[in-house]
Amino acid sequence: MTFASFLLLGLVAGLVLYDWLALRGKNRRALIFEVAVFVVGAFFIAFPARATALAHLVGIGRGVDFLLYPIVIWLVRESLLTRRRRLSDEERLTELARVVAILEARAVPAPTEPPALEATGTPRVAPLPGARSDAAGGRGPSTGD
Amino acid sequence: MTVAILMPAYDEAHRLERTLAQIRDAAPQMGGVTVFVVDDGSVPAVEAARLPHETSSFRVVLARHPVNLGQGAALETARRLALRTDEHDAFVTMDADGQHAAEDALSLVRAVRAGADVALGDRFLGHSSVPPLRRLLLRAARLFEHALTGLRLADAHNGLRAFSRDAIARIPIRQNRMAHATEIKQRLASARGLSFVEVPVTLRYSAETTAKGQRSTGAVVILRDLLGRYLFGETE
Repeated sequence: MTFASFLLLGLVAGLVLYDWLALRGKNRRALIFEVAVFVVGAFFIAFPARATALAHLVGIGRGVDFLLYPIVIWLVRESLLTRRRRLSDEERLTELARVVAILEARAVPAPTEPPALEATGTPRVAPLPGARSDAAGGRGPSTGD
Repeated sequence: MTVAILMPAYDEAHRLERTLAQIRDAAPQMGGVTVFVVDDGSVPAVEAARLPHETSSFRVVLARHPVNLGQGAALETARRLALRTDEHDAFVTMDADGQHAAEDALSLVRAVRAGADVALGDRFLGHSSVPPLRRLLLRAARLFEHALTGLRLADAHNGLRAFSRDAIARIPIRQNRMAHATEIKQRLASARGLSFVEVPVTLRYSAETTAKGQRSTGAVVILRDLLGRYLFGETE
């Protein structure tokens, strides 16, 4: 065991302890999964020779690389998927906000207009002159989308 | 037929009111104008009561995004609003901050009414005093867009444009942020049979518009958004 492996083990133990205290009772399954992964990690930190032996078995030079390669592959994929999800989430949020905006759009009233429209039961949002009834659709053939 | 002006507004405060007043004064010459102001989640919100009132040739329709989405998204909302009626024959995109002049909008509208499908403002032909760094960046953007779309345009990112009804109906905007300017050109290049002209316009660079306007680092965000759209495409 080198000085570095003590530091890394301390880091792993500290993170597990913190997450245990923070997530206990809330995300129990996630916590158990995390501990399982970290125990495997701690094992390879404590006994790097075992990792290297495993790596040699499949033709990879070092134990560290044996872990590193799959992690890099996973991260690249994950970042692409995250980006795609962010884009589609953003699109959905945009459409939602747009529908709200279009439904509530109204002409700026002339100053002489009586302000008591609400009291008389007229909808606060006056329909736009000439607007068709397909409210906020924006998907009809007339929009050309 | 009247003109629809699509105008995104984000934290413009009094600049929006001033810009609208200028348009109101030029409205009779355009044969009537409806300005579709889309408040892109400004804090505080744009107050309808403070905007210029309706006249015989001028009207403002105000819509508000509940959250800030970006200029491209606001333009698209305005576009959809404007296409809901049949009363407009020319559609102008214009900034709310007063950088674009109402008389320039008028010359773009005239170009469209004379038969062009799309009229794009060109600040380098006009009398704009473009700051040197901005000029350099725009030159790079022009080369980039030429490589991307095959279109040779003098002014890469000018927000002052006019479209015929047919053209605006064929150019939906999916890019929420500033990459919409490139997107419009991509659509222009791929839509068949749309003719376009470039018309000299004058952009007013004042201390306040430059302070609020696009930062030059925005180019990185534009590239990122374009790449995202390129990779993950139309997810409709």
